[in-house]
Amino acid sequence: MLKILEMTLKIGKQTTKYPQEPDTAPVDFRGKPELFPDKCTFCGECAAVCPSRAIDLREDKREMVLTLSYCGCIFCGRCEEVCSSGAIKLTQEYEMASKSKDDLCCIIRRKV
Amino acid sequence: MRTYIEALRKEFGSNIIKESVKLNEVYLTVEKEAVIKICNCLYYHFDLPLILIFATDERKKAGNFLLHYVFSVDDKDSFIIIQININENIPQFRSLTHIIPAANWYEREIQDMFGLRPVGHPDPRHLVMFEDWPDGLYPLRKDFDIATKPPRVKGEYVYRRVEGEGVYEIPVGPVHAGVIEPGHFRFSVAGEPIINLEIRHFYTHKGVEKLFENISMDKGVFLAERVSGDNSVAHAVAFCQAIEKLAGIEVPSRAEYIRTILLELERLYNHLGDIAGIATDVAFAAGAAHANKQKEDIMRLNEVVTGSRLLRGMNAIGGVRRDISNKKDSILPALSSLEKDFREFIEMLLETSSVLERIETTGHISNDTAKALHMVGPAGRASGIDRDTRRDHPYAAYSKIDFNVPVRKDGDVYARTRIRSHEVFESISIIEQALAALPAGDIYTRVKDVPDGYAFGYTEAPRGENLYWVMVKDGRIERCKVRDPSFCNWLSIEYAVLDNIVPDFPIINKSLSLSYSGNDL
Repeated sequence: MLKILEMTLKIGKQTTKYPQEPDTAPVDFRGKPELFPDKCTFCGECAAVCPSRAIDLREDKREMVLTLSYCGCIFCGRCEEVCSSGAIKLTQEYEMASKSKDDLCCIIRRKV
Repeated sequence: MRTYIEALRKEFGSNIIKESVKLNEVYLTVEKEAVIKICNCLYYHFDLPLILIFATDERKKAGNFLLHYVFSVDDKDSFIIIQININENIPQFRSLTHIIPAANWYEREIQDMFGLRPVGHPDPRHLVMFEDWPDGLYPLRKDFDIATKPPRVKGEYVYRRVEGEGVYEIPVGPVHAGVIEPGHFRFSVAGEPIINLEIRHFYTHKGVEKLFENISMDKGVFLAERVSGDNSVAHAVAFCQAIEKLAGIEVPSRAEYIRTILLELERLYNHLGDIAGIATDVAFAAGAAHANKQKEDIMRLNEVVTGSRLLRGMNAIGGVRRDISNKKDSILPALSSLEKDFREFIEMLLETSSVLERIETTGHISNDTAKALHMVGPAGRASGIDRDTRRDHPYAAYSKIDFNVPVRKDGDVYARTRIRSHEVFESISIIEQALAALPAGDIYTRVKDVPDGYAFGYTEAPRGENLYWVMVKDGRIERCKVRDPSFCNWLSIEYAVLDNIVPDFPIINKSLSLSYSGNDL
């Protein structure tokens, strides 16, 4: 019994103040992917390698539409790996809870 | 190895149709009628464990189905695979289960997925498929389209019944209290002691093997990582190794060491979580809090090292995707403090009488039962099964690293807890050795073309022997057989609980650490 108390006292409090205080993920953490529309060439490489088909590229009414869904993303980082123009990067962001699925989609467009 | 093959040739020469050797895999195609006696000889005479039975649909190429019986030659780091052809028009084979009980679930799985009937099977009910699945539809046959949405039909599943005065049934699950996976447990009890348990699983059947056949190899790595969520590295590495073996490429030494470190980090957080679970289930809250804290520390370390708490996204066919060169300073201090804290914790846990009274002699599995069911991993080693893929079939950097494989004979919850706690120290030592010897150089070899063919990949997952058999055709996955350790170990729970009381079931279950997802596929 004393041993248990001793160990508990030694280890002390482990809980953190999150979410009152931010909890930053480590540097190499693979979180929410971010799209940079200016850099994107709409080549479709990212959509081709995405294992969970979270990225979709299609032509719609003379527009190229790239949709990235955070619902399906598995944060593997393959898109970032193959993108030669640096238009997609995984960030340290992990707080992605949302009230609607639409909020979890990032859509960029370009006229053909 | 030669002696085994020569002996087989001498004894069954006239029954052997074809022989082929691919590295450490010896394939013998034999006559369908002779398979029972050949398996019997390998199992009882040569004492080789039957580690897997699976089917392939080769009707397009060869006009028939092929059944593969895989035996492991542990002391020679080899495998003997006995194959038989099964004609589509006579879709049946003789069951091996009455001779080798470990064949039980494999045969029932083949029956459901390929429509090949094991004649004489003692329990020919459905295993994977549920009663609402229409007859005559077999998902792993090549002519079954992955997009098929079969109609639901009416059907009934009959449980074994135990009858007698005062015997009553307790159904538990498939929905359990707590965020865990689904599985059904049907107890028959007379008073407190359990006199029978029947488990029913496969509620989380996801069609993993079919999915593999419909994705590219590089995407397959990510699917493998998700077959059994907390054994991601073991599955991904086994899958990658199968393809690397087939492609004949050498993975850079540095990548082999990094894989070893990842595999052991995975074992660490799994074992710590399992030990925490034991503390929780015996209502030792303070101990559980300590163990969970230690598990959490390792998961945070995982996140620092790999960017993922579950160590995902690190493996690729040909090596690893990220280096860990700048992570040494994070890993070493974390491990040395874990070693000290865990030593204090486990001593305290195993000195606490309220814990010992609950776990000693509880959930006993005899060596005979463990062997007959082909139990693997820590649960097998706690019942005297002296096998460990890392030692018997070395992969990654294990052949260059010094480690012990703890084995016990007592076979109860206490033994399984002790095996895991011993393995925690071994894992720490393995990671330290691998970091000290981490060679310089590349972490990735580009795999250009994968030739047609097939090969095994294998790892010792935290739960035990984990197998992948991958067949490639025209650069695509033609068949990927996954055998998670839990597929072997689940049935042992039906034996472990006998004569125990119902309140001890959660501890026994926890001590066996069984995966639903890996089992259900």
